[in-house]
Amino acid sequence: MKKLLSILLTVLMVSSLLAGCAPQAETTDSGKYKVVATTTMLADLTRVIGGEYVDATGLMGPGIDPHLYKASAGDVTLMQEADMIVFNGLHLEGKMGEIFENLTDGGKLIVEIAKGIDDSKILPTADDPNVDDPHIWFNVLLWKDAARVVTDGLVELDASHKAEFEANYEAYAKELDDLHAYVLERVNELPEESRVLITAHDAFEYFGNAYGFEVKGLQGISTASEAGTGDVRDLAQYIVEHQIKAVFVESSVPRKNIEALQEAVKAKGFDVEIGGELYSDSLGNPGSEEATYLGTVKSNVDTIVDALK
Amino acid sequence: MEAIQNFLNDYTLQIVSLGSILLGMISGVLGSFAVLRKQSLLGDAISHAALPGIAAAFIITQTKNTEVLLIGALIAGLLATGLIIVIDKYSRIKFDSALGLVLSVFFGIGLVMLTYIQKIPNANQAGLDKFIFGQASTLLMRDIQLMIGIGTVLLILVVVFWKEFKIISFDPDFAQSLGFSVRKITFILSGMIVAAIIIGLQTVGVILMSAMLVAPGVAARQWTDKLGKMVVIAAFIGALSGVSGTLISSSIEKMPTGPSIVIVVSLFVLFSLAFAPNRGLVWKMIRDRKNRMELNEDKILMNLYSLAMNHDDRTHGHHITMIKPTKNRRGQATEQLKTAMRHLEAKGWARSDYFETWAITDEGIQYVESHPMKGGL
Amino acid sequence: MTHDSKYVVEVEDMTVAYQVKPVLWDIDLKVPKGVLMAIVGPNGAGKSTLIKAMLDLLKPISGNVLFNGAPYNTQRKYIGYVPQRGSVDWDFPTSVQDVVLMGRYGHLGWIKRPGKEDKAHALDALTKVGMEDFAQRQISQLSGGQQQRVFLARALVQDADIYFMDEPFQGVDAKTERAIIDLLKELRERGKTVIVVHHDLQTVPEYFDWVTLLNTQIIASGPVEDVFTEDNLKKAYRSTGQVLKG
Repeated sequence: MKKLLSILLTVLMVSSLLAGCAPQAETTDSGKYKVVATTTMLADLTRVIGGEYVDATGLMGPGIDPHLYKASAGDVTLMQEADMIVFNGLHLEGKMGEIFENLTDGGKLIVEIAKGIDDSKILPTADDPNVDDPHIWFNVLLWKDAARVVTDGLVELDASHKAEFEANYEAYAKELDDLHAYVLERVNELPEESRVLITAHDAFEYFGNAYGFEVKGLQGISTASEAGTGDVRDLAQYIVEHQIKAVFVESSVPRKNIEALQEAVKAKGFDVEIGGELYSDSLGNPGSEEATYLGTVKSNVDTIVDALK
Repeated sequence: MEAIQNFLNDYTLQIVSLGSILLGMISGVLGSFAVLRKQSLLGDAISHAALPGIAAAFIITQTKNTEVLLIGALIAGLLATGLIIVIDKYSRIKFDSALGLVLSVFFGIGLVMLTYIQKIPNANQAGLDKFIFGQASTLLMRDIQLMIGIGTVLLILVVVFWKEFKIISFDPDFAQSLGFSVRKITFILSGMIVAAIIIGLQTVGVILMSAMLVAPGVAARQWTDKLGKMVVIAAFIGALSGVSGTLISSSIEKMPTGPSIVIVVSLFVLFSLAFAPNRGLVWKMIRDRKNRMELNEDKILMNLYSLAMNHDDRTHGHHITMIKPTKNRRGQATEQLKTAMRHLEAKGWARSDYFETWAITDEGIQYVESHPMKGGL
Repeated sequence: MTHDSKYVVEVEDMTVAYQVKPVLWDIDLKVPKGVLMAIVGPNGAGKSTLIKAMLDLLKPISGNVLFNGAPYNTQRKYIGYVPQRGSVDWDFPTSVQDVVLMGRYGHLGWIKRPGKEDKAHALDALTKVGMEDFAQRQISQLSGGQQQRVFLARALVQDADIYFMDEPFQGVDAKTERAIIDLLKELRERGKTVIVVHHDLQTVPEYFDWVTLLNTQIIASGPVEDVFTEDNLKKAYRSTGQVLKG
């Protein structure tokens, strides 16, 4: 009995050690540049601009909350071996700040998207005007600027393919413009007073700002904080007063938070629907329509407008 | 009053309060037994051990359905309990060490699993780590119903098996000799503790749950010497902490609920340790001082008596410096001596002639002769 | 194992060991009905272990025990046990009466609560040990001697035929000791068998009529006048060098 026990415990401990240390799937050495991006959005962007010259890996899977993501030892190894790293900045990757600092000191080529965007276009958070809102990707035009930053970074990495990167950028910029127009078109189907977007956390300021929506989140700018009962009450009050038809769950935040909100609203005698799931801090599942930025934004807008109509 | 108004208007606040009251009550009752059996940290180990269960449940079922995750937590909790008991019984490792071992290994595995989950391509995984610290504000009516259901069962079981729990907590060897299967009863009790932990996880999280289990019992013990009363007081303290913590966190911005509840219950413990009658530290200090003073007064009275007996005139007063020479510093009587004399005077056993001259009274003489002194004559 | 009806307790071939170190080795012991027997031996001799192994509180490596010719499980209700005083936390929130009532739990079985009759039994037993005024007292307020008497009362309510007591005179004042031994003798008068782990060699001849000398093995067992000899004592206490007094 005792022997069995010690074997069992040893196995448990060794497997925990191994699981923590195991490096991620190796990227094949095919002459392509290895680029590591943090979020799925950035991974997608890098792939589009980099094309066939770049092997882009995303650290976070879809549905992951970048505010809470903790890099594993394997992730750090990946980043150390990469030729270039792309991250959002403005504390979106809240728990990874130190890692980026260390890597920068080590002379790695690191692209911080937020740095490359004009200060005037960065919005402050709703709660605290001194803190910047990192969710820049929901303003499609702003994402074009991000694409520009990535392109510049890639050119710095591999000047020989500058022409190709620029071409990719131009093509994508046009697609983004089309997307922007599509969003505006759909949004206009809603009467002004219906343009209220209520989600689990304050991720959609940029969307609201760009496309004329009033935006409210249950949790603050980061999902690390706990939503207080006061927050739920206030938001429920707002929903009832403005007769909002639908609220939205987010793919990277627990559905329960919105369900609690819904119950609070119901207790006040009003019925608010859950209009659907929005992709807030990540793109959709790979293999689906929403695996790309274009697909995700389209899906989000469709969900929002259809539910609020 | 505004707070009460707020409360009546606020559905979420009501739900969360109800949840915390249930949590406090149930964990208070069951935790009392853990405390009495000197197994307070068992709750800590089990709650930490729940984490890998939650993670595993998600990996297997790919859903974040609360009931499913809690079943995972339950299984992990029971597994951990069994493992601790087995390690304690069959190896040289002591109970404490077995607890620590299982706690850290399970929790570590849980964290590893959460990291792993971050990697798998399922856009539905958010929120598992909320179980680490709890997120009380997202309690739903469904959760409350679950808590009421399980809680009622647990409380009924406590009433039914009252004498069995009592005897195995007090004297397991004797219980065994009477024919009670201590192992079976212990397992039932442990299982109930696991269940209590599981239903509290959503409110205060894995890390703080052990506080809810242990604190109400510890505080309650200070106020009563009867097991039945202790359990009821623990339930009350737990419930009161739950609702207070909830109200406090709802009125202060950015104040998380779980930790608020734990702070309140900790204050209860501190207060109980200090101020409970009989067992409270403050009371003990007061009582000790009172006892010392009385002893001192007896000694002084004895001195007065001896002086009186050795003097022709029993009513002759003696200067205070003569009465307790050892208390003299530079010929002056200390304040203590003066106070003692005044007390004796108040009791009618000493009489003051004039400035700081004292004599024993007839009543005092009577008292000395009829009572064997604590210091011995 | 064959049963001789003269004996109420029969132990055959019992060995108990922790890891490789034997605590009890090859114990053969027969206790006749109606004796007041002391088990004595140096510290670590295995005295408490013997009782615990007999009462199924420990698992021996080998050995058989019969009570009235039957295995322990079937004879539980005829056997009363008074554990060492130190085996329990006296700060537990319960009263003297409650502790004594615990002795009735065996009769009640699962779930049933003690009733009026049981309470009367308990009060009776408390009176026998002179503690009837303490019934509602919290057990942490008791002195050592009082605690021992409560344990004794608890065993009495079991209404057993065979009593096992583990160091009942440990840390107890002279008056209480007298009271306890009188009670034990009275039990013997009523035909009960009382087996006591005892630490004070001086009082053995005065208190007991039967004695077992134990030091991992049985050195000797039988009537006091036959067995309690200088020779046997030397054998039992030899390796520990304890000072013997007549």
